[in-house]
Amino acid sequence: MRPLLAGLLILLAAPAAAQPGAVEVRVPRTFGYFLGDLVEATVEVEAEPGFALQAASLPRPGPVTYWLDLRSVETESAGTRHRLRLTYQTFYAAIDARTLEVPGFPLVLTSGDAHGATTAPVQVPGWSLGLSPLREVQPARRADPAEYLRPDGPGPRLDPAPPRDAALVLAGLALPALLLLARDRAWWPLRPRPARAFAEAARRLAALARGPETEAGYREGLLALHRGLDAKAGRRLLADDLDAFLARHPAYRPQAESLARFFAASRLAFFGGAVAEARTRLPLAEAQATARRLAAVERAA
Amino acid sequence: MNDIRRDEAMLTDWRAAARRFEAALAGAVLGQEAVIRLVTIAVFARGHVLLEGDVGVGKTTLLRAVARAMGGAYERVEGTVDMMPTDLVYHTYLGEDGRPRIEPGPVLAASDDLAIFFFNEINRARPQVHALLLRLMAERSLTAFNRAYRFPLLQVFADRNRVEREETFELPAAARDRFLMEIGMEAPREADIRRALAFDPRFHDTDRLVAGIEPGILDPAALAGIAAAIQHGVRASEAIETYVIALWEALVRPQAAGIRLPGIDDMAGLVQGGASPRGVAALVRAARVRAWMEERDWLVPEDIRAVFAPVMAHRVFLEPIHELDRAEIVPALCRAVFETVPAP
Repeated sequence: MRPLLAGLLILLAAPAAAQPGAVEVRVPRTFGYFLGDLVEATVEVEAEPGFALQAASLPRPGPVTYWLDLRSVETESAGTRHRLRLTYQTFYAAIDARTLEVPGFPLVLTSGDAHGATTAPVQVPGWSLGLSPLREVQPARRADPAEYLRPDGPGPRLDPAPPRDAALVLAGLALPALLLLARDRAWWPLRPRPARAFAEAARRLAALARGPETEAGYREGLLALHRGLDAKAGRRLLADDLDAFLARHPAYRPQAESLARFFAASRLAFFGGAVAEARTRLPLAEAQATARRLAAVERAA
Repeated sequence: MNDIRRDEAMLTDWRAAARRFEAALAGAVLGQEAVIRLVTIAVFARGHVLLEGDVGVGKTTLLRAVARAMGGAYERVEGTVDMMPTDLVYHTYLGEDGRPRIEPGPVLAASDDLAIFFFNEINRARPQVHALLLRLMAERSLTAFNRAYRFPLLQVFADRNRVEREETFELPAAARDRFLMEIGMEAPREADIRRALAFDPRFHDTDRLVAGIEPGILDPAALAGIAAAIQHGVRASEAIETYVIALWEALVRPQAAGIRLPGIDDMAGLVQGGASPRGVAALVRAARVRAWMEERDWLVPEDIRAVFAPVMAHRVFLEPIHELDRAEIVPALCRAVFETVPAP
């Protein structure tokens, strides 16, 4: 009874699980490979429970033989079944179809615990690979190998006129912009000249002298000279400031007397309420003459 | 017609008196011609004066000299931290019979005749005292012993030293606004004047120095009349009116007038307030007195400029962040205003 039962058990277990230590190599096909093809091989190892693949024993990617490289190695485990996915690349330039032997390699299974490790070596068998030649190519014979290179395709012809025109137009626009910038930044030839304050006043007075002489015109003329003096002094100049002004701008000192008369008349006209008296003391023509003399000094300075 | 001629003659006489008044002060206080001129203008504009300056530059001496040269009743108090308004108004003591007595204090003592009330170190007094001064200065009246006292001749002179900040009380804006002028006083810089002040024994004894001044050059009772005559006698043309209003506008809104001060980014918010209509009225009043002293019966921009800073500077209130620097900012602002606003 007992031997019978044991035999039955073996019969039942046999198809379900391979023998521990069994190694199987599977390749999608074993023939029909060309130069440079990738060959994906799967190695399945059935181990004793508790045993695992020793990582150090796995094959390293790199050249295997002179015609075969191992590109990558991946492992996966499910229970006692361990699987290696190996990717090879063949560089065999076959002249005719032939079968070559891919060499096998050893693997080590280990079972380790705190007291020590048990190892079990497993040999992965070699397998054969059918390689085929590439189709024959026969170009005409050339003396210079460079002549085998084909010339480049012809490019489209481009019309240079539109970009040239655009460049000219933009350059034409850039020039006035540059001039504007130079003027704004007061670059070399465009430095602002010091404003000619008295020249402006003299111009205004001359324009007023041409018109009919009125009280309003007289006041306006005095104001023009006042503004000229203000601009020259950089501040508002009152009658009492005349001495300080002349000390700071000695070029106008010869005009001190006429300037004093001007300030006295302006005071009378604007604040003394005696425009008529101011006009007799300092007619507009004399104010104009004063402004002209000041402008002349200003130009010379 | 006759009246006008008499007025003119009176104005001329008083101008001579004002000149003598200035000369008397200048004899006692050396090297302070500008301050003396401003004080004289304030006397004839019937305005109160606050003197500000360093310790020992002669603020008190000047004010004592003014009091003596002007004549009239004179009272003086010293500001202290524990001074109360009642200390100015009432004098309380125990009589010989041991009963408490209350009598008029320093302000009321001379009452109607009080011409000069001299408040020494005003910033040492508390705000309560400043508040009492508000009415005294603005309305020249005070209520005490259940009746109103009037001080028609009163002129308040105060001084303040700007060195110390501890145990002092800044004058409230309302009180500052009631001073016609705030005059800054510096020690004279001229070498010979400094030598005289240091070595001439005449300047060492202040009492003798003040006693040497001719007393009563001006008659306080007549000052109000002459002050009014000056204000009516000096004309302001339309141009000067425009000018003053433009100055006022530029002072209150410096940015709109195109004024930029170095180191201040926010010109629009710089001036927070002040420069009141009362201030501008005071400006014109003082300027008229200056025109009169310069023997003119019409105003010119120089009159405005001469009194602008003392009259207006202390009435301008800046943004709090700039208030600490007002000693530099406000004079620069005043200068910039005059450099910007066209005169005629």
